Amino acid sequence: MNLRWYHFALWLVFIGVMYAIPEFVSKGTLRTLIFANFLAIFAISWDVLSGRTGYVSFGHPFLIGIGAYTSAILTKRFDVPIEFAVPAAVMMTMIGGIIVFLPALRIKGSYFALVTLAFMELMYQLVQVIRPDLTGGTRGMSGIQTLTRGAVNGYYLSVSLMLAIALSMWLLMRTQLGTALSAVGMNEESVRGSGLSTTRLKLFAFLTSAFVAGLGGAFYVHYLGSIAPRALFDINFLFTIIVAALIGGASTIIGPVLGAFFLTFLLEFLRPYLPGAERYFIYGAIALLLYMYEPKGLIALIQRGWNRLRGGV
Amino acid sequence: MQIIIQGLLLSGLYALIAMGFTLIFSVGRVLNLAYGAYLLIGGYVYFTVSQTLGVPKVIGLLTATLVGCLLGLLKYRLLVKPLKGNHVAIEISTLILAVVLQAAIVFLYGDSSKILLPIVSGVTQVSGASVTYNLLAATVASWAILIALYVFVQKTHVGRAMQAVSMDTRGAAISGIDPDKINLFTWGLSGALGATAGVFFASYTQLSPSMWVAPLIISVAVVIVGGIGSIIGTLVVAHIVGFMEVLAVAVIAPELRGVFTMLLIIIVLVIRPQGLFGREEL
Repeated sequence: MNLRWYHFALWLVFIGVMYAIPEFVSKGTLRTLIFANFLAIFAISWDVLSGRTGYVSFGHPFLIGIGAYTSAILTKRFDVPIEFAVPAAVMMTMIGGIIVFLPALRIKGSYFALVTLAFMELMYQLVQVIRPDLTGGTRGMSGIQTLTRGAVNGYYLSVSLMLAIALSMWLLMRTQLGTALSAVGMNEESVRGSGLSTTRLKLFAFLTSAFVAGLGGAFYVHYLGSIAPRALFDINFLFTIIVAALIGGASTIIGPVLGAFFLTFLLEFLRPYLPGAERYFIYGAIALLLYMYEPKGLIALIQRGWNRLRGGV
Repeated sequence: MQIIIQGLLLSGLYALIAMGFTLIFSVGRVLNLAYGAYLLIGGYVYFTVSQTLGVPKVIGLLTATLVGCLLGLLKYRLLVKPLKGNHVAIEISTLILAVVLQAAIVFLYGDSSKILLPIVSGVTQVSGASVTYNLLAATVASWAILIALYVFVQKTHVGRAMQAVSMDTRGAAISGIDPDKINLFTWGLSGALGATAGVFFASYTQLSPSMWVAPLIISVAVVIVGGIGSIIGTLVVAHIVGFMEVLAVAVIAPELRGVFTMLLIIIVLVIRPQGLFGREEL
């Protein structure tokens, strides 16, 4: 497992800081932090699949959307209690994960990315047409039961979920299984040559990613209380998830969390100067420059700075 | 009859849209996800030059083409070349670039969509179907450009060099072709084609900052289904996609217009990843 005591010390400090935050900041900042938490969950989900195995998914909103819609439909249209609706949504998302997994048996690289993009667009168009009485059609649904009231409770819920997912994924990726998944990303043939079933490894990665996406999606919709197809199956949303994972540092778990907070706060910081979609211009430009300069992300920059600091002392 | 005419017209437009994307994918072997942004920029440049400044339309069209070409060249120099070889990185950074350019358009022109006056105005009746001269012009232009492109790629020295690089970059380099130059040329050409297509596409629908997504999906569909390095394949598949859309709208429901295109992409990629007309690849 290759765990050291300072790993746990760092995690404890991180968890402590995250839980202490509501004591110090305003409600508005907390709402921003809640979004950052959810973005971090989605970025982790993307990272477990794409950052590790190299199967770049451009259709992650597809999985998140399945989770969100399933839970929303169950609670709103069929009056299923949330305790049952969320696990059902996670199950549905994992089935969705298997659907996305099937093409990955035959194709990879750019082609795989395109299939997932097609899945997302397909879902976007189908949701509006098929059974609008259930999905709410183009306008989506509102008035979905929410789990918490107020920013502070919402923050505790989202941060707990995020930390639980981040910690368990981090531990999971420290096992031999995580190493094997990274190996698939580096060279699939040699993994197969070592006698491991790449099919099973990939299936595992897809299911884990779908599990996290479904969980995140379901909780997200119960936080927002509303859902609309254009907000969910959108290239801008996809872009934010991928950029968060990459900016932070792919295949590191903590990187995507870092990236998600960095991006969300960058976006909030720009709000007073540029109110509308123009913010994406600066935001995207910074993301692009950072990505071109350091494809390994912020985490690599921090590590390099840390090493230099230690070397200096 | 109406379906056939509408299908033909729409397909011509789609073929024009997909052509530039095919070129890059065949020669450079990278997916340029910012391709839709050429159409976006092309449309808005034309709008600015001919509708706001009141310059003749032909000059507007030429300016749009030039800007698109320039954009393609810049993109290759600044983005694709430094990331050479890393396809995933290129795809992701072009996707980011597309969002950045979209935001830039929002910044300059605002969020609301704009109506582009038809490039060629007027309507005619062809056996019961009303055909705008504008779409007719787009189709004619598209066919002219496609034929010119086909002749160019098959007959001229540069075109054949492009084919060579597309087949085997190293082999082409040994035969004295500079793959870098050919790539640069292709990116410029692709940008010019994209911007031209953008003007026609914008006059067919309307100008809006998010108009780049639909043509990108169409281009992807056409290239995936048609296969790498096949101009004829592009043409045929553009017609398949165009007719499927027109049929879906006319026979089933207007909301379903894109669904069959997506299904086609998924099915073809899973069953025959090299495309219907492409060489064995992957």
